[in-house]
Amino acid sequence: MAQKTVDTTKRAVPFDKANVPGPKMAKPVKAELAGKIISKAKRPLLIVGTPGADTGLPEIIKTFNSKSIPVAATGSCLKALKQADVEATYVNLHALVSYLKDPKWKGFDGNGNYDTAIFIGHTYYYASQLMSTLKNFTTVKVISIDRHYHPNAQMSFGNLNDDDFRTALKIVAAQL
Amino acid sequence: MVLKKGRFIIEDLENVQINIGNITGAEVEEEEKEKEKKEAHGPTISPGIHGLRDWDRRLLGRYEPVYSPICDLCCYCTYGKCDLTGNKEGACGINMEAHQAREAMVRTITGASAHAGHGRHLLHYLIERFGADHPIDVGPSNIKAPNTQTVLGIRPETIGDFIPVLNYVEEQITQLIATAHAGQEGSALDFDSKALHAGMLDHVGMEVSDIIQISCLGFPKSDENAPLAEIGMGLIDSKKPVLLVIGHNVAAVTYIIDYVEENELIDKIEVVGLCCTAIDMTRYNISAKIVGSMAKQLKYIRSGIPDVIVVDEQCIRGDVLKEASKLHIPVIATNDKIMYNLPDRSNDDINSIMDDLVSGSQPGVLLFDFDKIGELAPELTLKMAPIRKEKGYTALPDDEEFKRLTSSCSRCGACVIACPQGLDIDVAMSDAAGGDLTLFEILHDKCVGCGRCEEECPKGIPVLDVIEKAAQKVIREEKGKVRIGRGQIGDPEIREEGRNLVLGTTPGIVAIVGCPNYPDGSRDIYDIAEEMLKRSFIVVTSGCSAMDIGMFRNEDGKTLYERFGGRFLKGNLLNVGSCVSNAHITATTIKVASIFAGRNIDGNYEEIADYVLCRIGAVGLAWGAFSQKALSIGTGCNRMGIPVILGPHGPKYRRAYIGNPYDPEKWNILDARDGSSHLMEPAPEHLLISAETKDEALPMLAKLCFRPGDNSLGRMIKLTHYIELNEKYLGELPDDWHVYVRSEADLPLAKKEMLLKILEQEHGWEIDWKKKKIIKGPFRRPDVSFQPTNVPRLCKGASV
Ligand code: SF4
Ligand code: SF4
Ligand code: SF4
Repeated sequence: MAQKTVDTTKRAVPFDKANVPGPKMAKPVKAELAGKIISKAKRPLLIVGTPGADTGLPEIIKTFNSKSIPVAATGSCLKALKQADVEATYVNLHALVSYLKDPKWKGFDGNGNYDTAIFIGHTYYYASQLMSTLKNFTTVKVISIDRHYHPNAQMSFGNLNDDDFRTALKIVAAQL
Repeated sequence: MVLKKGRFIIEDLENVQINIGNITGAEVEEEEKEKEKKEAHGPTISPGIHGLRDWDRRLLGRYEPVYSPICDLCCYCTYGKCDLTGNKEGACGINMEAHQAREAMVRTITGASAHAGHGRHLLHYLIERFGADHPIDVGPSNIKAPNTQTVLGIRPETIGDFIPVLNYVEEQITQLIATAHAGQEGSALDFDSKALHAGMLDHVGMEVSDIIQISCLGFPKSDENAPLAEIGMGLIDSKKPVLLVIGHNVAAVTYIIDYVEENELIDKIEVVGLCCTAIDMTRYNISAKIVGSMAKQLKYIRSGIPDVIVVDEQCIRGDVLKEASKLHIPVIATNDKIMYNLPDRSNDDINSIMDDLVSGSQPGVLLFDFDKIGELAPELTLKMAPIRKEKGYTALPDDEEFKRLTSSCSRCGACVIACPQGLDIDVAMSDAAGGDLTLFEILHDKCVGCGRCEEECPKGIPVLDVIEKAAQKVIREEKGKVRIGRGQIGDPEIREEGRNLVLGTTPGIVAIVGCPNYPDGSRDIYDIAEEMLKRSFIVVTSGCSAMDIGMFRNEDGKTLYERFGGRFLKGNLLNVGSCVSNAHITATTIKVASIFAGRNIDGNYEEIADYVLCRIGAVGLAWGAFSQKALSIGTGCNRMGIPVILGPHGPKYRRAYIGNPYDPEKWNILDARDGSSHLMEPAPEHLLISAETKDEALPMLAKLCFRPGDNSLGRMIKLTHYIELNEKYLGELPDDWHVYVRSEADLPLAKKEMLLKILEQEHGWEIDWKKKKIIKGPFRRPDVSFQPTNVPRLCKGASV
């Protein structure tokens, strides 16, 4: 069956209307391209927030596991991810962005820091505010494949309804 | 006889009083006292901006500032706007890091000024009313003003003794705000040191404010059995005339309460409060009722129930007058912080003011005369009530209008995008149009009552009113109890519990403080408090958090304040009071250092903060922090060595202090016995950090109670809670639990065998299975005589 398509670059305005950080805002990205960029990253890290435990998302996150992309479980999603057999490491998101900007951090596997941070399933304002640390003080490429437009990422989906969001994630997963 | 500053009353000469201020003799005496102090006390009496810079650098060296800009531009001067994205420099040479540190510092100073300004206002008033020589009485304590003593080396005895204390705070605040002027400081780290200075000053300002009101206004004095006050929108008898006070400065309100009592109006009128004035009002007189926290402001005004509103200062909405006048609720502003462009009627006759307010020819007045406020507010309430109740003023729609409004929603989602909480208002609207109010009832507690949704709705739907109308059933059930603010922790309580705290057998103090900008409703902090109380932590609370904790009941209908004692003992819940009472939390740690450890506290900030950081497992949780005051309170805790966790809105403050546990260079500690340096576990791991959910915050709270000074029993208890909470809320053993193990005696008893196995198999530690002992593995062994410190000059043999 042909893969459903969806344009993830529509409605690329901050989900929290006033969250306009400045002249540099995320480029709206198509799901397919996001998937390709992630698959080409040397040291990608998928960063999942608490709403990432919502129905269906752990299944998608598992695809990252199968492609050996490490998964950081931030907030309190770890329990649900584990129950869905996702391999993930708990880390506090605020601490994680601090580690990501530290060249001394060797990552969860000891092989070095990450060059690409992929955000999914977060409390919107929380993730947005912490992406701004990465945007302003690191060279980490931030790709948001969450359901709302994140101006502080380098690339982001626009604001999506639930169906389109899930379709988009499937497209990303297919590219990994 | 040596003449001292003070007040003399000459016998037989009625009404003659001689005030002695800065006469030469008194000055000489003061100077001598100062000299004595400098000789006998710590090295930093009344430190200036750089006085504790070394200490700050020790803290910031370990807990690195992490900045999260909320805006990438700077528009601070006319060179700007400057685009600082990517840590670029602006036209003045400041880069993004330093600018963010400056922004956070300015907010910290703002918070500190709010409390110091409050304190100065109260001090003027209380000295005028009670005299400068009115004695300080905070309860059974010799250390009456711990923050003041530690920062300034002053031991105040009378309220007048606080004059130089506030002089110092105000001078420092002026110097600090001067550094925010464009084109000077270029170092982020130094801005942070200044922010820490402002935070410390805040705790002094708060301490002054609360001690003088406790001493003069008959508030509970270290009273573990302080009575329970009623709280909740559902408890207010709206059939009676309702007088609502909002704010933080209780001075004017005491006159209202006195008038109500003296004129036997107590049963005829409901005097209710929002925010900290409400807390302090119940400390003054238990008959007053608390509506709730800051988040209830707009909601309660819109209900139309208040007949008169009195405002004082701080966390009060800017649109109170606008909202109130729509519903013909007169507003009396009583403090020059908030004047709403109202006419000053302080010199007018009460009847003429009353006439203008009743007729609505003036929507409100400014009134600085407390006697007049005391009489006018209740009398006006009695007059307004029948008029308003007859007209049925309320902003809430009736059933028919509610139906029309919810059906007119086009589900465009503009409100959702505007809502700071991103609440599913659009879905709730369509559910409600179909007759299902469940989602709105849930949203009611999550909604912080900001009104941003309404500003955006293209259909002009008054969204907040719709939520409140839909949640009427829930609101009627909002009935709680809160133990009124007890004030300081008394010296005898510290004597009894200090040892347990330092050794870790009481696992820690969790201070749940701050505002109601919660990520997921107010129930979270009730749940957190209950979990930690059941685990024998001491839970201390204040302000809006103290109120919200009292809003929920268990299956037996009991609030946490009814279920847990109010003494400074493990498993007790202590409401210290209003925002300014937060000073008693840092004060408690100072008292432990003094009473339990015998440390000299006078002008000895660094040593005391070092002691707190190394030994006292205290952690703050400002789960719904929104205000600048909350930031300054937290920053003051940080300088004192107390870590703080913020809710997910917290990174909007722009900076955090985060430890990197993987970096061994950060975790060296000295043994004061010989100055030797040791690698230690990351304890506490962070100084200022946020969490996304309460389930994440809970294990973090336990973890941030670890201290390098824990003995084995204490570490075992703390580790037990950390592990159990992690398993319960995050579903597995924490992956860093082993880092906190120094010997087998640190291991939780019930899991010892299993944990030893993991240490051997997963971490390569060597175990003697016969003796169940750890042979090799931990990087540090416990040593009961170990004296951890971060300050080289405190080590034996150090050249000071
Ligand atoms: S203060 Fe500096 S960075 Fe800010 S607008 Fe002025 S020149 Fe630009
Ligand atoms: S009033 Fe409530 S629903 Fe409306 S924007 Fe504010 S928090 Fe959201
Ligand atoms: S903004 Fe108004 S019309 Fe649009 S979804 Fe919200 S309530 Fe409905």
